[in-house]
Amino acid sequence: MRGRRLTAPAGAASRRLLADVAGLVSVSAFYVVVSVVLAGLWRAATAHGPVAGYTGRELTWYIVTAEAATCAINPRLIEEIGDDVVSGAVTVEMLRPAAVGGVRLAVETGRALTRLAVLLPVGAVIGWTAVGPPPDATGALLAVPALALAVAVNVAMQHAVAGISFWLRDTRAAWFLYQKLVFILGGMLLPLEVLPDVLRHVASALPFAAMAYVPARTAAGHVAPGLLLVQAGWLVVFVVAALAVFGAGERRLQEVGT
Amino acid sequence: MSTARVLRTALADAVARRSAFWAQIGVMILNDLAWVAFWLLFFHAVPGVRGWDARRVLLLYAVLTTAAGLALGLTSNCRRIPQLVSGGALDDILTLPVAPLRHLLVRRVDPVNLGDGLFGVVLFAVTGHPTPARIAGYVAGSLLGAALLASFLVLTGSLVFVTGRGETSSLAMNAILLLASYPVDVFSGATKALLYTAVPAAFVAGVPAGLIDRPGLPVALALVGATGTFAVLGGGAFTLGLRRYTSGSSWRSH
Repeated sequence: MRGRRLTAPAGAASRRLLADVAGLVSVSAFYVVVSVVLAGLWRAATAHGPVAGYTGRELTWYIVTAEAATCAINPRLIEEIGDDVVSGAVTVEMLRPAAVGGVRLAVETGRALTRLAVLLPVGAVIGWTAVGPPPDATGALLAVPALALAVAVNVAMQHAVAGISFWLRDTRAAWFLYQKLVFILGGMLLPLEVLPDVLRHVASALPFAAMAYVPARTAAGHVAPGLLLVQAGWLVVFVVAALAVFGAGERRLQEVGT
Repeated sequence: MSTARVLRTALADAVARRSAFWAQIGVMILNDLAWVAFWLLFFHAVPGVRGWDARRVLLLYAVLTTAAGLALGLTSNCRRIPQLVSGGALDDILTLPVAPLRHLLVRRVDPVNLGDGLFGVVLFAVTGHPTPARIAGYVAGSLLGAALLASFLVLTGSLVFVTGRGETSSLAMNAILLLASYPVDVFSGATKALLYTAVPAAFVAGVPAGLIDRPGLPVALALVGATGTFAVLGGGAFTLGLRRYTSGSSWRSH
């Protein structure tokens, strides 16, 4: 029963998203543009040989996968959750017989996974057309669960961060900074191996790498199944954190109001 | 009310909430620093790409942020035409004795994007090796790039008068800004041709930045011509679209 309280809104959110064909076309078109541009840049960069251990073909699949992981997410999620908390909209959700944080996590994960399911075949066509099949079949297969985990970790962490708006009231700037951390330290724009040693070690220890770098490196043929376990670990951490922050925030709203 | 006075009022309104104004500018500067970090890291790993190195890309980025800051900051409604049209917000403008498009464009100033412009100026001052000739090229190039960007956004935003939807405009803005932020020589064939025609991203930053390094009359004339063409197309599309605008009876609650 409790599971259904979460799967039902997630399924409904997914169906609503699929019904918005224009929105999906728009997301897919942006994904195509950004993937083609970045993959083109990296292919040009590898014209005289591999960069940081990646060939042009590997980097093309790297970029196509990393972009799918980030384009599947609503980039302004932190801001929108913060607005709902500040405007009091979240208090209406507290009337439901389910934890607000849990339902929101389920809904956003459902949406993001649906977008990902739409972007995956588009990305496969881009990669295949540009450089042929993925460098490694095992890597390509493992990249699918890695992408799903990447999206789930990203959604959970954004909820954990956005929950701070129960206390700070203004998280509008946070989404912008969060996004840039995923861009650089998450390996969305460039593989972590390109970073200077110190920065690479820092980035490897942070959760952002689980959101783009892990599935992208896997799809590029550098298979390390242990990285998926790292993603699973971060997922547990941020789901627990998000539920705890939202739980505490709900109690605060009940005690002191909006 | 003159266009300059409307712009002054919009600026005063944006600056009135002083802490929010500076916070938004600061956020945009941090965003731009992240992109500069990306390019420095990229060229740390790759010595050069088709004749482009870190210095040339930073010059391109200085022009792009300045042009985008001017277009999306001072004439920020150029990106909001679909929302304004579908929300019926043109009604009150059409009752005024002013040129609707010009008034609409300067009526709102966006502090976030002013941060972009400020960043571009500082980036050029620090990395652009400013000399009087280069400063003149940077100012002229940025102004033309801004005018072209705003015109392109008005043109694509005016499609809402026909289609009734704003997704195309949003996609067009993201696409032109994204494409303008990369060295144009990365692209080839049909994609490169597209950047000089239908989605004129090359003229927003790449061509003006090239003119700062290597001034030349034919390229400068091409830039002026492209800007003029898109200004005419944008203004014409908006004016034609106004004939179809019929939202006077829409219900709103604000």
